[in-house]
Amino acid sequence: MDEALGTPLAGLSLLEAAPDAMIVTDHRGQIVLINAQAERLFGYARTELLGQKVENLVPPRLREQHLHHRDGYQHAPRVRPMGAGLDLYGVRKDGTEFSVEISLSPITIRGERYVSSAIRDITARKRIEKALHDKNIELRNANLAKDRFLAGISHELRTPLNAIIGFTGTLLMKLPGPLTDEQERQLLIVDSSARHLLSLINDILDVAKIESGKVNITREQVVLQDVVHEVSNSLRALAEEKHLRIDVAVPAEPVIANTDRRALQQILLNLANNAIKYTEQGSVAIDMQKACDGHTAIAVRDTGLGIRDEDRVRLFQAFEQLDASSTRRFQGVGLGLHLSQQLATLIGASLDCESTYGRGSTFTLTIPADAA
Amino acid sequence: MSARVLVIEDNAVNRELITYLLRAFGYEVSSETNGACGFANAICGSYDLVLSDILMPDMDGFEFARRFKAAPEVANTPLIAVTALAMTGDREKILQAGFDGYISKPIDPQAFAGQISTFLQDRG
Repeated sequence: MDEALGTPLAGLSLLEAAPDAMIVTDHRGQIVLINAQAERLFGYARTELLGQKVENLVPPRLREQHLHHRDGYQHAPRVRPMGAGLDLYGVRKDGTEFSVEISLSPITIRGERYVSSAIRDITARKRIEKALHDKNIELRNANLAKDRFLAGISHELRTPLNAIIGFTGTLLMKLPGPLTDEQERQLLIVDSSARHLLSLINDILDVAKIESGKVNITREQVVLQDVVHEVSNSLRALAEEKHLRIDVAVPAEPVIANTDRRALQQILLNLANNAIKYTEQGSVAIDMQKACDGHTAIAVRDTGLGIRDEDRVRLFQAFEQLDASSTRRFQGVGLGLHLSQQLATLIGASLDCESTYGRGSTFTLTIPADAA
Repeated sequence: MSARVLVIEDNAVNRELITYLLRAFGYEVSSETNGACGFANAICGSYDLVLSDILMPDMDGFEFARRFKAAPEVANTPLIAVTALAMTGDREKILQAGFDGYISKPIDPQAFAGQISTFLQDRG
């Protein structure tokens, strides 16, 4: 195959073994050697290309530019690897263009300078890159649209609630005039229902934010006993309404964890609130223990309904209230445990449940030693 | 003499609520429905406190705050946002825009008068 050129390049027949299309040109830009991969890639027979200018393989619109580049390369030849960031194109015998990546290396044989180029068709890769790029833009836009939607929903739901809670408040403050006992009782129901609705809206938006990765965890040194006491104090009135005791048992020595205070508080508030909600008589206990391996366990124990074994798997799923028939009795959309577990994961803690149906449940939040 | 408060709020019902509450607690209240009218009124009305919504047509609360904080006439008047923008980060964004205080909607009517009097006292 190298007969037309004599022996100098005969040794280069090893180019046939290369995975890429290979073309060797002389100092005038004439093709002196091509391999079978190059024949296939450009759609020419070898004999059609030997002796031709390499510009025949460059799209006509880029030929002048290529001549210029080749001239420059002749004067300062150096190895140029593939993927040097240039957008390069080849043209087949049938005139179709395709994207290529080219590596160049100068070679000198018996004083003659040649340039060896390896050419790779990257049409498929370009297509995938473009598809990925487009998909990324699409995803980013969808995410932005979702954020705008959440912000919009939050704003739109709060605006009418402002009027409901606000004017119920002015009536209950008796600003417009006195109320009968029955009017006051009914207005208190409107007020507590509206506030409940607000907390549901906040829960739903919290879940949505966590799921879109919008919740930032800010770690700080937190005295865990403080959080436990804040939670039990804020729920004491609710427990007393149902004649339930809240028992708190914490170590005497302050236990300090490096964690997100708000997330921790929200988890414990959800657990204790659930415990009160599902307990008709007895008590709710919050126990905190520091284990010898350094982790801290905070258990919220109730003497309530309990959970059936078969229901355990659904416990932490969103929008689940275990006894569907009980939704009228227990307010809520079933986001509390789902939210709590998501938050626990975010702060590197774990949330587990033990329960005996009919006798009560214990939810335990375990904060690992490295956070403590 | 009772303190003078300007309320800028585009929603008629919420405007009525805030004005009603403020009057009930003895404040002298004026109101406007967007930032542009609010600004015109604020710089010549010698108010002790200005409450502004954020999302409003024509000129929103952010633009209003920018102009308000640049106006020498109201250099000593506290500007408080009363807004339903209450997602994480909204409060910080609003305070950064120049507001001196932030009250989220729904407002707590029982606590509202106390919040207002605190802002008036902080004025120093």
